[in-house]
Amino acid sequence: MTLRFPFTVRSPLPPVFASSLHRCLSIPSPSSSSSPTPLPSSDRRPPLFLRPPTFAASRSDLHDFRRWAESLALAAGPRISASDGGPDAALLRREIAWLVEDATVAAASESGVGEELRLRVELEELYRLWRARIEERRPFQYIVGCEHWRDLVLVVKEGVLIPRPETEMVVDLVAEVEGFEKGLWADLGTGSGAIAVGIGRMLQEGGRVFATDLSPVALEVARLNVERYELKDKIELRRGSWFEPLRDVEGKLTGLVSNPPYIPSSHVPGLQAEVGQHEPKLALDGGEEGMDHLLHLCEGSASALKSGGFFAFETNGDEQSEFIADLMSIKFGNFFHNIKLIPDFAGIQRFVTGFRR
Amino acid sequence: MMARPLLRWASFTSLHTSSRLPFVLLPRTLNPRAPSLAFSAAASNYLHLSDDQLMAQCDMDTYKASGPGGQHRNKRESAVRLSHRPTGIVAQAVEERSQHKNRAMALTRLRTLLALKVRKAIDLDGYAPPSELLQILPAKSTIRGKDVGPQIGPNNPKFALGMQALLDLIFAVEGSVSETAKILGYIVYGSFLLSTGALSRLILSDDSLRVTVNELRTSKGMRPLR
Repeated sequence: MTLRFPFTVRSPLPPVFASSLHRCLSIPSPSSSSSPTPLPSSDRRPPLFLRPPTFAASRSDLHDFRRWAESLALAAGPRISASDGGPDAALLRREIAWLVEDATVAAASESGVGEELRLRVELEELYRLWRARIEERRPFQYIVGCEHWRDLVLVVKEGVLIPRPETEMVVDLVAEVEGFEKGLWADLGTGSGAIAVGIGRMLQEGGRVFATDLSPVALEVARLNVERYELKDKIELRRGSWFEPLRDVEGKLTGLVSNPPYIPSSHVPGLQAEVGQHEPKLALDGGEEGMDHLLHLCEGSASALKSGGFFAFETNGDEQSEFIADLMSIKFGNFFHNIKLIPDFAGIQRFVTGFRR
Repeated sequence: MMARPLLRWASFTSLHTSSRLPFVLLPRTLNPRAPSLAFSAAASNYLHLSDDQLMAQCDMDTYKASGPGGQHRNKRESAVRLSHRPTGIVAQAVEERSQHKNRAMALTRLRTLLALKVRKAIDLDGYAPPSELLQILPAKSTIRGKDVGPQIGPNNPKFALGMQALLDLIFAVEGSVSETAKILGYIVYGSFLLSTGALSRLILSDDSLRVTVNELRTSKGMRPLR
């Protein structure tokens, strides 16, 4: 696998030094006093696990970090999970292990040779990152810059929805469709590109995925993921709202998949902090009933899909799924058949699937 | 690669229990309601099943099913629990970072547990060691023969099959390692070609195998292998 990243490799100087250096060198101007010198944006840096291991720490330093991080997790976990259903101490402790896994060079951490460990991030920044995790409830996936999803490691960052474990199943649903390997597929609102990459990897000659999103940040991240898995010839990214960028393939699609925003607007303020305060509203808020976008997808599917074409939509679960299934089999019954509700592994009716007549 | 067949076979059970994962991972959990596994002749071939077939015999669920999940949650617990219906054996995985990988890990653990817990009665008079057993025997042992191939170690997925056959034999001789070595050597070549020491080292090379053999030996009043 080749790693091609448009990121500039970060300066080995810690951000604080880098910015003070910048301040020293830049000529003061009237406007600069009103707007503080921006710190190097974390957005521009590659995910932790892809950064070069240019830093070092001793084993005992890292051990101290772990102990400190675990004490924070143990102290904050019960409060966090009780307040809004956020992570408990056990999950936070697993996150510490994953953070260290991404921040260190694997060979060094396992071999046990020598006292020095090579790190992909400065030790002090490791402390800052974990403090942000606990105090700001910054999602773990944004901190490390990736999420493990199916057998993929997907780049994510602020501005893009973190793919959920439930959604892993959409790829399985596609794989059940006869002849999917050579079909034309669309992943509407692709976000990080998770579903598109999952499908793209299974396609054969002639198979293709059109992955659309309204958000330029999402498309940028999706492009990284497509390139990382060498799927540029299988996945075409297009910017626009839902079916809008797909006019040229109208009526030709083998299948349509989407995990659209489906949370009812009234629920958004009560979401756990990691989601409500850090993830993009654009990818979450589904309008008053949560079904604004799902309804739009249902209406557009009839003309987008070819005869025999397949659709799979993720929903908020149970009631939404039943509503969408009824809509597709009764109101749009002339166009669709074989409508099914598919539960996720927690037993919630999470997906609606069906076929164009 | 795994998920497609896994999905097809998985049965979707809703979770009624509010059970939570133990704070420290306990990878091997036995269902106390499980039927007795001792010497069940019909139950011997689970390890020969493909992943798909084995999943078909399992109920799969995730933990922490409370709440709406999906986009509402930053990370719904991606832990996976597989319950093998015929035996009641439960295998779980929590430490992987995706649900997909936790599923594969749980299935690997289930195979190990099946090898350790499901015994097949052996008729010592007509006993011939299966090739899976010969494959895990020490490389220098001449009884393995040329056609068996290189020795398979505990990290190889095929080790479970050999371990199961070895345990069947050890249980049939009530825990005696020297007797097991004698039978393996004697039956195949008519002489003692597998030393007790070499067989002991094999048993000690895998933690779960060692624990199972020692539990048996302790129950029979023998001292455990070290």
